[in-house]
Amino acid sequence: MAPPPVVTGISPKEGLPGTRVTIRGENLGNRPQDLIGLTICGCDCLLSAEWKSPNKIIARSGPGKTRGDIIVSTASGGKGSSTVQFRGYHETIGPLKESAVWIEEAPLQALAWGRRSLSPTSYQMEDPLGLSVEGNEKKFPEDELHALFPDGSGDLASDQFEPGWFLLEHHHATSFDDLRVGLSYLRRKVEGQKEGQLSFLKANVGSVMEQLDTLFLLKEKFEADINIYGVDRTVKMEKSIAESMLEANKLFEGVLKRRERADATRNALGVLQRFRFLFTLPVAIERNIKRGEYDAVINAYARALNLFGKTDVVNKIFMNGLKIWMAWHACSIILRQIHGSHVPKNFLDGTATNLVNLDAGGDPAWSAIQVHAKYLTQQLNSCFNTHMAADTSVEEGKTPKGSHSKHTRTPSGNQILDSQSTVPQRVLCVEELTEIMSSRFPDLWKLGQAYFSGELQIPVGPNQQQEFKSIVLNVIGLGCSLLRGVLLPHTLETKSAWPANSSLDVLPAWLPHCLRYVRSSYSSLISLDLPGEALDIVGKLLFDLQLSCMGTLLVQAGDQLSSLHTKENWQLHFDSRFGGITSLPTLFEEIITEAITLIKETVLQSGIRETALLENESAKKEFNNKLHNTLLNFVQALEKLVSNNDMGDHSPAISQLIGSPAHFRDHSQSSGLAWEQRLLCTLSNCLYTEKEVLPRLLELLNRHNYPPLPKTFQAVTNALNMLEKDIIETFIEQKSDPLVGTIEPSMYLGRFDWDTQLSPTDLRPYAKEIIYNIVAVHAEVYRICPDQIYYILSHIVETIAEELSRLMSCVKSTKFSTQGNQQARIDITALQETFSAFTTSTAESFFSEALEVIPPLKNADTKVVDEVLKTFQSKMLLRVACLKTVKKPLNSL
Amino acid sequence: MSKKPSGGVQPALHKVIMVGSGGVGKSALTLQFMYDEFVEDYEPTKADSYRKKVVLDGEEVQIDILDTAGQEDYAAIRDNYFRSGEGFLCVFSITEEESFQATQEFREQILRVKNDEQIPFVLVGNKGDLDEKRKVPLADAQSRAHHWQVPYVETSAKTRDNVDKVFFDLMREIRSRKMEENKMSNGRGKDKSKRKKLRCALL
Repeated sequence: MAPPPVVTGISPKEGLPGTRVTIRGENLGNRPQDLIGLTICGCDCLLSAEWKSPNKIIARSGPGKTRGDIIVSTASGGKGSSTVQFRGYHETIGPLKESAVWIEEAPLQALAWGRRSLSPTSYQMEDPLGLSVEGNEKKFPEDELHALFPDGSGDLASDQFEPGWFLLEHHHATSFDDLRVGLSYLRRKVEGQKEGQLSFLKANVGSVMEQLDTLFLLKEKFEADINIYGVDRTVKMEKSIAESMLEANKLFEGVLKRRERADATRNALGVLQRFRFLFTLPVAIERNIKRGEYDAVINAYARALNLFGKTDVVNKIFMNGLKIWMAWHACSIILRQIHGSHVPKNFLDGTATNLVNLDAGGDPAWSAIQVHAKYLTQQLNSCFNTHMAADTSVEEGKTPKGSHSKHTRTPSGNQILDSQSTVPQRVLCVEELTEIMSSRFPDLWKLGQAYFSGELQIPVGPNQQQEFKSIVLNVIGLGCSLLRGVLLPHTLETKSAWPANSSLDVLPAWLPHCLRYVRSSYSSLISLDLPGEALDIVGKLLFDLQLSCMGTLLVQAGDQLSSLHTKENWQLHFDSRFGGITSLPTLFEEIITEAITLIKETVLQSGIRETALLENESAKKEFNNKLHNTLLNFVQALEKLVSNNDMGDHSPAISQLIGSPAHFRDHSQSSGLAWEQRLLCTLSNCLYTEKEVLPRLLELLNRHNYPPLPKTFQAVTNALNMLEKDIIETFIEQKSDPLVGTIEPSMYLGRFDWDTQLSPTDLRPYAKEIIYNIVAVHAEVYRICPDQIYYILSHIVETIAEELSRLMSCVKSTKFSTQGNQQARIDITALQETFSAFTTSTAESFFSEALEVIPPLKNADTKVVDEVLKTFQSKMLLRVACLKTVKKPLNSL
Repeated sequence: MSKKPSGGVQPALHKVIMVGSGGVGKSALTLQFMYDEFVEDYEPTKADSYRKKVVLDGEEVQIDILDTAGQEDYAAIRDNYFRSGEGFLCVFSITEEESFQATQEFREQILRVKNDEQIPFVLVGNKGDLDEKRKVPLADAQSRAHHWQVPYVETSAKTRDNVDKVFFDLMREIRSRKMEENKMSNGRGKDKSKRKKLRCALL
């Protein structure tokens, strides 16, 4: 609809009836036929209107007599308005004015022949008040007069005479006194007229005499005429008039006949013209349909209907045939159009309306719905099939490039995928399917809505509601099952599933992407206000997809975690609480956080009409299991790290008196850390994970509104604890076995025996070795895992004490010489004291057992022992200092 | 006073009157300003009325243009027209000496009718595109404008040179005049009502 016309200019702005006016403005129609109405001052002037341009119309003004608007109406813009006004006025034609029309002269006779200025009428013409209007140049504006007296007039002869108008017009500047004089003058004159016939004759005696003279003259002439022509003077004239009439009739007979013939010819031509239009109608319609100008077709049809529709039976029959033919034709072409790949937006709607306008038989709107549904189904299927075919052909390696590039067009989404060639066919398929669902399906639905709401002015069939519903459900169901076939082939038993191949393997990475597409399409469907059942189908699909997506994400994270052990680089970072940890726990945390966040963002972020995934019990369980497995994967990875002791490198840190010292061994392993150190690292990692990372994850889950999962975390903690325990035991074993194993050979190194005659001066080397080794272990553990020092060392000390007591019990008590006795005492006591911080009650009992085996000493001999111990203590003070400061264990395993 | 009561808030209305001898291009200027068209054929005007909304310095106003007849035949009805004008574009053709001389008479007639030396008025030398046929020296026109204390602008209805300028300049002038009057109306409000009352008594 074009904007309404506005008249903004008029030339001239006032004039007599019939004045040629140029009307200017905006939107005065876009072609001559568009102009359907024109009124000037309320008079219809369309007949004389000549359309020049959208800005200009030339017309002739009508008989309107007042000021008024110029209203233009157009077919495209409706009734318009006007900012300017035209004033029509009627000229009083005076005797001095040229005039093309005959006017009544009688009242002006006196003035025209103005021989007697005494005639009372002549005074009237001057001024009824007898006042001079000379010098009264300043006129009262006419516009204001019109405003003051909308219906009045200043004309004395007018019906609507307004004294106020007259006074303002003629005596605007006359003083009040003058006016009073004028009034008395007027009164006098009126009274004078009332005085009667006599005074009138007196006043007009001259003219009365003149009339008498004239009458006498006429009478004389008349009498003379009678003498010449006889009494009846008109006979001759009548005769000649009759003759001339006959002549005239004769003359006009031919003309009239010719005119009649011309009229007949013109009629025939007109009829032919009309029929020509009718005969060319089909061609024109076809042409217009080809061009897609359906409006033109409908216009032509309406015109044909106007011209012939109501005439006679033959025409009606003919028109019916034409109508049916046209409707069929239009239908077929339109349907063909629909089958084409691109359906313009709103096209269907319009088409259906058009068809209804054409009165086509059947129910075009309904068939349009059906066709569209069919078309949708086809689209969905063909999309699925082409993509599957492309995928399979790629799979088979046949012309992989060609088929691939053919289908790797950007899926008309706004998502710019960084490299097209890497997008798997399935994802493209999903994108296209969702695209179809969200962009084409609404057309169908809206069409249906329009159909049932009666917008298309069609009676709705009784079962069609139900049928339409089933159509909608079918289409949505198909779309969903196809999507399912692509994304979740395992949920379908039918053959329609996309065969599993390599592209399924890469799918998980794209699942969130696909999910996003499906979800956006879902939300667009929701906005359509579809029935619940239809939405439920999609909702179910979405739910399954979410579930699978979540599972996949977690499994992915799990896979990443289980391969984590290969990523361990043993770079130690020192933590204030847990000593040395490597990057593993951080990686673990990162992976889990990423997975959880991703899940939260893509899967759990539930839109409208979606049940939150985790409120579902089975989904919750699934999530629980998956998370559990994922977390356990990490524990397993840690375990793997510890268990593959393939280096065969035992006790590098234990110095041995036999053989080459461990310190000089080659440490050029890739890691740079010995296995025991790795053990410790892993232990520390375990602890860190348990104490720091897990609570953090828990908090993260809480923050993301995941349901609480106490069992899972408990299980993971337990697994970690188990692992820790294992590691510690392995470590202790690793450490204490060689340590303890070296005690005996070292003790008897250099053919030493307890019946030695050498007086003890210091600890035997084996005892020092033990201390050094313990110190070394302490250092090692303390560096990486300070918390576990007490536990580890006390265990080792226990085994040492046990070994000592075993060794001592093996020595026959008689074998001890005094010196040997002293030596043994010194060694054991020194060890006992040195390790006192790590001595458990078991170790204590072992130590005392070892001491008990040794026979008692005399007092003098004990002195030596005390002295040696004293010197030992002062000498070794710094070395064993570390063993003295023991922290209370933070946790006891 | 004669304003029609109309619904809604109408934008301010500025009434402009085109005066000048016949054939100097008053209608051409008007039509160029109103409809961006240049009319080649000459058809003497009687009295044309145009009105449209324009944006003047960001404010929507209505301009009402009364395009009057230049021919002497209509000189008698000019008085009536001039009375309603709030601003005048006095047009002459720079290719015609007589039209320039005639501006003097127009000016006098306007001053007589309006009885106001300060009435918004712009002296317009039209047909600026025909500079090679110039008969009125620029200096003469300028000195006359200076003498009258009005602006002088040369326009061309054909090339649309300065067409908008003259109309908008005049409208600004009218607007500022109205604003001044509004300021002073406090003092004159009484007078007005008195005048009105007087007339009522007379009727």
